[in-house]
Amino acid sequence: MGSQSASPFGAIKIVECGEGISAAFGAKMIADLGAEVVKVEPPGGDLTRRRGPFPDDKADPDKSGIFIYLNANKRGVVADLKRPEGRELLHKLLAGADILIHNVAPGERAAQGLDSAALRAAFPKLIIAAISPFGETGPYANWRGYELTLSNAAGWATLSPGASPYPELPPLKCFGSQCEFQGGIHAAMVALAAYMHRLKTGEGQSIDISEQEAVAAMLEMNFMHWTYAHRETSRLGSRLLGPWFISDTADGKIFALAVEEDQWKRLVELMGNPEWANDELFKDRIARGQNQDALKALMGEWLGEWKTQELYRAAQEKRVPFAPINTMRDLYENEHLAERQFFTTLDQPGIGGVKLPGMPSKYGATPWALRRPAPKLGEHAEEVFCGELGIVRERLNELRKAGVA
Amino acid sequence: MANLPLSGVRVLDFTWAWAGPFCTMQLAHLGAEVIRVETTARPACVTRLIPPFADDVPGPNRAGYFNQYNQGKKSILLNLTRPESIDLACQLVKHCDVVADNFAAGVMDKLGLGYAKLRTIKSDIIMISMSGYGQTGPFKGFVGYGPPASAASGMFFTTGYEGGEPGEIGVSYPDPNAGIFGAFALMAALTHRALTGEGQYIDQSQFETALALMPEGMLEYELNHREPGRHGNHDPVMAPHECYKAAGDDEKWVSIAVGGDEEWRALCRVMGNPGLADDPRFRTAALRKQNEAALDEIVTAWTRTRDRWETAKALQAAGVAAFPSMSNKDLAEDPHLTARGYFTALEHPEVGKRQHAGIPWKMSGTPCAVRSAAPVRGADTEAVLKSLLGMTLDQIEHLRKSGVLI
Repeated sequence: MGSQSASPFGAIKIVECGEGISAAFGAKMIADLGAEVVKVEPPGGDLTRRRGPFPDDKADPDKSGIFIYLNANKRGVVADLKRPEGRELLHKLLAGADILIHNVAPGERAAQGLDSAALRAAFPKLIIAAISPFGETGPYANWRGYELTLSNAAGWATLSPGASPYPELPPLKCFGSQCEFQGGIHAAMVALAAYMHRLKTGEGQSIDISEQEAVAAMLEMNFMHWTYAHRETSRLGSRLLGPWFISDTADGKIFALAVEEDQWKRLVELMGNPEWANDELFKDRIARGQNQDALKALMGEWLGEWKTQELYRAAQEKRVPFAPINTMRDLYENEHLAERQFFTTLDQPGIGGVKLPGMPSKYGATPWALRRPAPKLGEHAEEVFCGELGIVRERLNELRKAGVA
Repeated sequence: MANLPLSGVRVLDFTWAWAGPFCTMQLAHLGAEVIRVETTARPACVTRLIPPFADDVPGPNRAGYFNQYNQGKKSILLNLTRPESIDLACQLVKHCDVVADNFAAGVMDKLGLGYAKLRTIKSDIIMISMSGYGQTGPFKGFVGYGPPASAASGMFFTTGYEGGEPGEIGVSYPDPNAGIFGAFALMAALTHRALTGEGQYIDQSQFETALALMPEGMLEYELNHREPGRHGNHDPVMAPHECYKAAGDDEKWVSIAVGGDEEWRALCRVMGNPGLADDPRFRTAALRKQNEAALDEIVTAWTRTRDRWETAKALQAAGVAAFPSMSNKDLAEDPHLTARGYFTALEHPEVGKRQHAGIPWKMSGTPCAVRSAAPVRGADTEAVLKSLLGMTLDQIEHLRKSGVLI
């Protein structure tokens, strides 16, 4: 755990605005490396403060699990960007910032003082990373997008769950807020690239990030099947190879997979060389994919004799890439994650210790740490507005009374 | 091309399969010179070997996956089973800023290309290893792919139709996700080096990068000791929130998500049933969630006879989030993505111009563009060895004949 001053990222000042996950996650990625982030929330607070999960299911804007995950390491202020006094506060903050990350919709940017071209003119050294569902140009620029509609717009839901035998069931969204997370990590990555360009040239710039495009670029079953082989992809049909299925074990479920022929051979050994494994139906991975139902039935009995974690280890010992269908509890109790110190406990006022998913990439030199809890709504107004922007306390009180700050 | 964010950054790319190449492609998009190390000596790069192939004619330079995830890169042949190749790789590292691999844990060390060695060759080298489970810990030797990482990270357990079994998620998401996190980590390490002069090693686990995206589920357990459950396309708060059947075949659906009262009223107006907004079953967000099954039936009765695009356009015009479920063909032909210049189609010696997904961001000051189609295997061997190591054609020919540059 490095201290704040130990990280060279302490020199980077970020302002974050908008609501929800994408911009908050992008700013978090850099904040966790030591950057100073001021999160600007609307007067009612970020919508993730209302989404939970909450301890004991009691809604409390300062105790939302997803808010805490996204916003530890940041200081928080309130500014109503729909009013001129709020925009003035924002622009004062931007005058001292290196990077702005936000996800305000393109159609609402001008009214909230966030038009990219206007910001470039006013702050030529500022890097503006603006995330939106469909980007800021093109016929759908002003279309509204939530996670569900985005995962359909990007072509993901259409492929999911995959190899489905149920045409009457709809395309299926993946758990969580994956499109929003991708908007955030893409924004953080490109913002740092722009920051390096600024170190060389002194020039700022704006970046337009489309969540639809970011996710569409990640789908392996997509364009090439159309543009190379003229095949339209679907959530229905069969797997290209096998075994590739989820099956019951004695105490849970396992994902059974063998990709390469040598993996299959070692799996057959592990199963005790059953006679059926020599059948023409299973002669290679393509045939095993086509005859997956028969394969699953034959393997099912053997799989059902194992405990999940034991089967996982036994298969992996033979370099067969099985994996358990882990629950959240399994993850918190996972010995590998524990030994790698993946989880980090954050002391969050009002809750106590909260064990959060931690650093997803282990850096040899850049310190990664959770240095401060997520802010209460408007917690750092005096520190930031009065202490750093030179706004007198009386003025802040007026702004608060007027509901602007 | 001197004016791109990563102009002047050179990457020696030992990655294969999918996560690694997806990572280094982001660097190529941002202006880095990415040199892929490949070999014909063994079938290392699976994406050159699996379909779809251009027009269904197999061939290592005709594979859609490879050509998608290696746009803008160079390719050199280097048979890493030969000690001369390791020497050549080390000489190349002297001229590089970044080394990337996604082999199983420990493979680079065994090859003689581990970080401890490489930093003696170039003290500020940045190296990332993207393995399935990381370089340390009891599972470090486990074999990882994207789909099992989805299982291990809880994505299968939490995804699925309401009341149904754990589902798969349709794509090998943890692969490109590890690639994006890897690209972010490299950007952070390059920034760190720009500020301090210091290089570093990054140990990245695909498993852990997937877990970074599961906080809603994990915190449900941490705060309330409860598993999040499977709810299909439904949302804990919003309703309606579903993919609804549209007119047409099994593939025609339209997704609709309603966030608040204003959007709910707009939906009712567009459905031609403004009175529904005040129906006692649906008057508030909490009631709509409570009576979601009845609500889904009403919305489906409306959508199932209508064209999916007509529905989406009418709802978007009224401020309601709606979008058809897009297939690859739908995306490839989409007027919005086309208008934004999202797709690339650059000349490739064997497959001609093929449409690929391009760069999902636009920079005002340093406009990025895919600079070349994916390389033919080994296309740049001579040029790279001549320009970086000053080798002569005779030396190169000799190494080729002796099985090093294959």
